[in-house]
Amino acid sequence: MKTRRIFPFAFCLLMLFIFPYKTFAGFPIGKYRNLVVPSFSYYSQTDHFDVHGNYVKGAPGARFSSFSANLYVGYGISRRLDVIISVPYLYQVNNLGQGNSIISQGAGDMVAGLSYNLINFKYVRFLSVQVSGIIPLYTVPANGNSALGLGNSGTEIKLMYCGNLPGFIADKGYFNTEVAYRRYFDVQGPDQLSFLATVGIPISWHNQVSLDVSVFRSFSSNTTFNINYNAERNYAFCETTAQFRPPVFTPVFDVPRRLLCSLRDKYRFGLWRFGSNHF
Amino acid sequence: MKRFCCLFFLVAAMLIAGVSRASAFQQQQQEFPEPPKTQETGDIVLRPTPKSDNGIFKKNEEIVYRLKITNNTNSYKQGKISYLLTSDEGKKVRLDSVHLAIRGNSSKEILVKMLPKPAGFYRINFMVNTPDYDDTVRKVFGVNPQEIRSQLHKPADFEAFWKQSRVQLEKVAPRYRVLEREDLSTDRKKVYSVEMHSFDDLVIRGWLVIPRDGKKFPVHYRVPGYVVSLNPNMDSDDFIAFDINVRGNGNSKDVINIGTDNYCLVNVENRDKYIYRGVYMDCIRGLDFLCSHENLGIDTSKIFVEGGSQGGALALITAALDKRVKLLTMQVPLYADIHDNMNISASYDKQVFPFKVFRRYNDIHPGFTWDKFFSTFDYYDPQNFAPMVKCPVLMGIGLLDQFCPPRCSMALFNHISSNSKEYICVPNSTHEVNMEYFMFQNVWLREKFRIP
Repeated sequence: MKTRRIFPFAFCLLMLFIFPYKTFAGFPIGKYRNLVVPSFSYYSQTDHFDVHGNYVKGAPGARFSSFSANLYVGYGISRRLDVIISVPYLYQVNNLGQGNSIISQGAGDMVAGLSYNLINFKYVRFLSVQVSGIIPLYTVPANGNSALGLGNSGTEIKLMYCGNLPGFIADKGYFNTEVAYRRYFDVQGPDQLSFLATVGIPISWHNQVSLDVSVFRSFSSNTTFNINYNAERNYAFCETTAQFRPPVFTPVFDVPRRLLCSLRDKYRFGLWRFGSNHF
Repeated sequence: MKRFCCLFFLVAAMLIAGVSRASAFQQQQQEFPEPPKTQETGDIVLRPTPKSDNGIFKKNEEIVYRLKITNNTNSYKQGKISYLLTSDEGKKVRLDSVHLAIRGNSSKEILVKMLPKPAGFYRINFMVNTPDYDDTVRKVFGVNPQEIRSQLHKPADFEAFWKQSRVQLEKVAPRYRVLEREDLSTDRKKVYSVEMHSFDDLVIRGWLVIPRDGKKFPVHYRVPGYVVSLNPNMDSDDFIAFDINVRGNGNSKDVINIGTDNYCLVNVENRDKYIYRGVYMDCIRGLDFLCSHENLGIDTSKIFVEGGSQGGALALITAALDKRVKLLTMQVPLYADIHDNMNISASYDKQVFPFKVFRRYNDIHPGFTWDKFFSTFDYYDPQNFAPMVKCPVLMGIGLLDQFCPPRCSMALFNHISSNSKEYICVPNSTHEVNMEYFMFQNVWLREKFRIP
């Protein structure tokens, strides 16, 4: 029964999405070197799961669409220490149906921080930690809700382990794993936990394929549903992303397939169930 | 939800546990890095590991080795474990021993501790002696090698001699010939065979490999080891690779074509005609070639010169004599601090290159005194060129190297004038470095040249 529900959801809910706040693995950038990665993403959502894990079809004509551009800049202060800044710019259309829509645009939450390479395993694999601050670059309306983000500053700590794939898996290729905890400075939080694993393998001189698997959970006492994931506090998702891309650039021209479920009060049926059955 | 949280944290905990384990293992490695896995055979195997991962201790630091003893026989063994500590010239510093009693097919570890030592390199031999089995494992460690000082035996007219050599080289028209070798080229790289006239009008040749994927590249200029044939270097994707075969090496043997036993002896009694005068100038001529062929995509502002053994010496001398070299990387540089090299090599049980060759020549040429040898070689000792090196330098050495004793390499290194210089010690290597060194060299080059 569930299977029959989920597959239509997966295939009918067309979403082209690149999560704009993605960072660029735990590889040290290198002293004096820099990394500048502009990216663009489009996200569209019509339907969602409810708190019980039921698929809820959106109102006729209703759709939430987000166009976001992101500029990620990293600079190697030393062989181990990098400074990173990520600034998103969002253009969002929340079409409520019946010709009503709300448009919001502007800079989102800036992430700025330091990444430090804790252990370098013979220059083949790297264990790094990153500490970042989250600063909203928009003003929050009097009602306290902004479509561009939560409107709160926050902090994040992330542990990253990455490097070459072992030879018995592939002659060439890399992996990256990240575990992060993020806390927004508000009584409602949220507290966010995330896990990301990436495997990339070159398929030609200029091209590679990669596979991302990520699990994300945002905890908050504020369980109000919001179709705009940027402004929601309590939700979870599990995603896979298959990417085909040039090896140097990260997601500029990615066409990932993301299956995201925004749940309302997801205490019983999170997307993990979805993921555990079908990913 | 609980299931979700449990699964999530399980995955996260597994990752963190894995990382922590890796971290702990690494810390343990740093305390006592695992020696390389080699096929060690014998009734009783000794595996000494220095406390510092690169075999280098600080001046006031206690010298500590972890000694793992493995009894590969089925029988109980009794005997003696001892260590002999000597200077790198073979002077005894300390001898100590403990009683050994070990069951069959078992292993045990002991800690060997010594008081801090003055700056320098030390040989330490670990020995096992039982009534029916003896074995010795030789290691070397260093103490504050950056404090090692050596005397420069630089002739008064050293600079003038090399200035005159450059003048003579410039009088030789290079007459470059660059021939594309389609048979050696690939989809990704073009290979050229390069020919030019050098010092004394000898023809030398090299290989130029240019990536097709770009218009301008920094240059990896490689100079050869002792009578080593360099071939097209297809490994470098971000550099133009230029490998030169100096006279008597590889495809540059038109006039000089002699084996390893005599190469370094050609005209050794004549300062002006010694083979290395032409060899050193060949390296400069190679630079002339690179700088006159910008049209091939050569970024002449980013030339780095590299070599190992004799190539390490040639690389250093090229960087010293010519400021067109922007970076220098060298491994186990041969002939460094030739006076101390002679003293150290005198203590070897069995002679090795280069003094094996020089001593043999000395033995069969009664009129050839060591003073005469040095009156020539002091013009060629890489150490005397070291103060002229101003560009950033990376050097790698093997602590067990007898061809290029670590003390001589470090003495050379400490004479280098550049204020941006680094060295890497590989504790279990002889006349070579390891892959980790080259991984770091890659990082280092990209850092210095700001290559993405």
